[in-house]
Amino acid sequence: MDRSSDEDVAAALCGGQPDALALVYERFGPLVYSIALRSLGIRSDAEDVTQQVFVSAWRSRDRFDRGRGTLGGWLVTITRNKVADALRDRQRDSRVLQQVTGGASVAAPEAPADRVVDRIVLTDELARLPEAQRLVMVLSFYSDLTHEQIARVLGLPLGTVKSHIRRGLQRLRSRLEADGVAY
Amino acid sequence: MSHTDPEILALRALGETAGTARDAEHAASCARCRAELARLTAVVRLARDTEPEAALQVPPPQVWDRIAAATGVSATLNGLAPGRPALNGSAAPAEPSAVLGTPVPPASPVTPEHSRASWLGRRRGAWPRGRLAGAIAGLAAGLIIGIGGAVGVAQLNQGPRPAAAQVVARIELSPLPQFPQWQGSTGTAVMRATASQQEIVITLRAPARSGFYEVWLLARDGVSMISLGDLSADHTGTFTVPPGVDLRDYSRIDISLQPFDGSTQHSKASVVRGSLPAAATARA
Repeated sequence: MDRSSDEDVAAALCGGQPDALALVYERFGPLVYSIALRSLGIRSDAEDVTQQVFVSAWRSRDRFDRGRGTLGGWLVTITRNKVADALRDRQRDSRVLQQVTGGASVAAPEAPADRVVDRIVLTDELARLPEAQRLVMVLSFYSDLTHEQIARVLGLPLGTVKSHIRRGLQRLRSRLEADGVAY
Repeated sequence: MSHTDPEILALRALGETAGTARDAEHAASCARCRAELARLTAVVRLARDTEPEAALQVPPPQVWDRIAAATGVSATLNGLAPGRPALNGSAAPAEPSAVLGTPVPPASPVTPEHSRASWLGRRRGAWPRGRLAGAIAGLAAGLIIGIGGAVGVAQLNQGPRPAAAQVVARIELSPLPQFPQWQGSTGTAVMRATASQQEIVITLRAPARSGFYEVWLLARDGVSMISLGDLSADHTGTFTVPPGVDLRDYSRIDISLQPFDGSTQHSKASVVRGSLPAAATARA
């Protein structure tokens, strides 16, 4: 899968293809669910938010403008709004509880931390790199190996490794610029 | 002078000292190259800042059912359709004596050399291969792990353990997004600490398939792994964490489906996985 298939999914959604929502969900379900889960911490809440995001995306698909941004970025925005709503509900519930019980005050709700969203977007894009390139990037990020050592260990030409690194970083960067928040 | 070679900028963003002194000079003085380097460095920092636990999670199947119900969309998911269970009767592994719940016997305390043996895909005996070949085999296995921490030798954990037997943590194991065929499978791992050892009790809910399910501890480096043993026919098992293994390094539990091919290595078919919470892996 590469960037163009994201565009195919976006095109399917805009074209109102009957199976478009399934395509969108298959592509972005884990992204949306992971952001919700990391932000809310409770599986059932994350499931509710995931449902709301895709139902809302489907109903307002006419408002998605492919010329103005990526489908991933649009869904991330909806997810952040729904997470903020869920946190507000939670705060309201706890305020009611607090009035009933006279308990301590609760922290104000926050939108998902921007860096949480960015990390999940990055994880998603990293997972979508072709296998050889992903391995080079993972070793570059998380091992102490230099690119020469990576080339030796993987049995790849040095030029290939350098090119994987350059293109890989650029691709992660483009995705973060499109779908990320704080990056 | 022309702008710095993009490949050199990428390597510098990773912290390597690539390029010549003139490259470094230019990259420092040219606004465009400096900005480019800053953007790439930010990507690298974010990536290195991303914990292995941040791996994407697949929503459980009922979420799509609810979305489909709410929108009236009837399409089924292609990739996420649950796998067809194997024929009844093939559930039990074909060689029960070889696979029924046999935890690795507590070996002698793990030395750094011993830990490095996991690069060689150790289980019952290391692979008789050179270090480089072993490293490549380990890296291939590392592919399924995705993101890991920095490569490092597993640290010794020889600190005192809690005196009384107690449940330290209960971890949910879930399928990885890149393996949609395991969608719907789940598992739990209960960690128990006794006076002298740590145990992990595994329960797996997954379809019966040909082969057997094996339990692994995965290291943060995304490369090293330790086999704890195989699940019994009812998909449960109790395993002892080998003495000396530092669970802060080996902080993830993975269950693989292994074919009966005689290989002692991870099959790369990860069914479910979960991370030990930091509190459970802290030194007692």
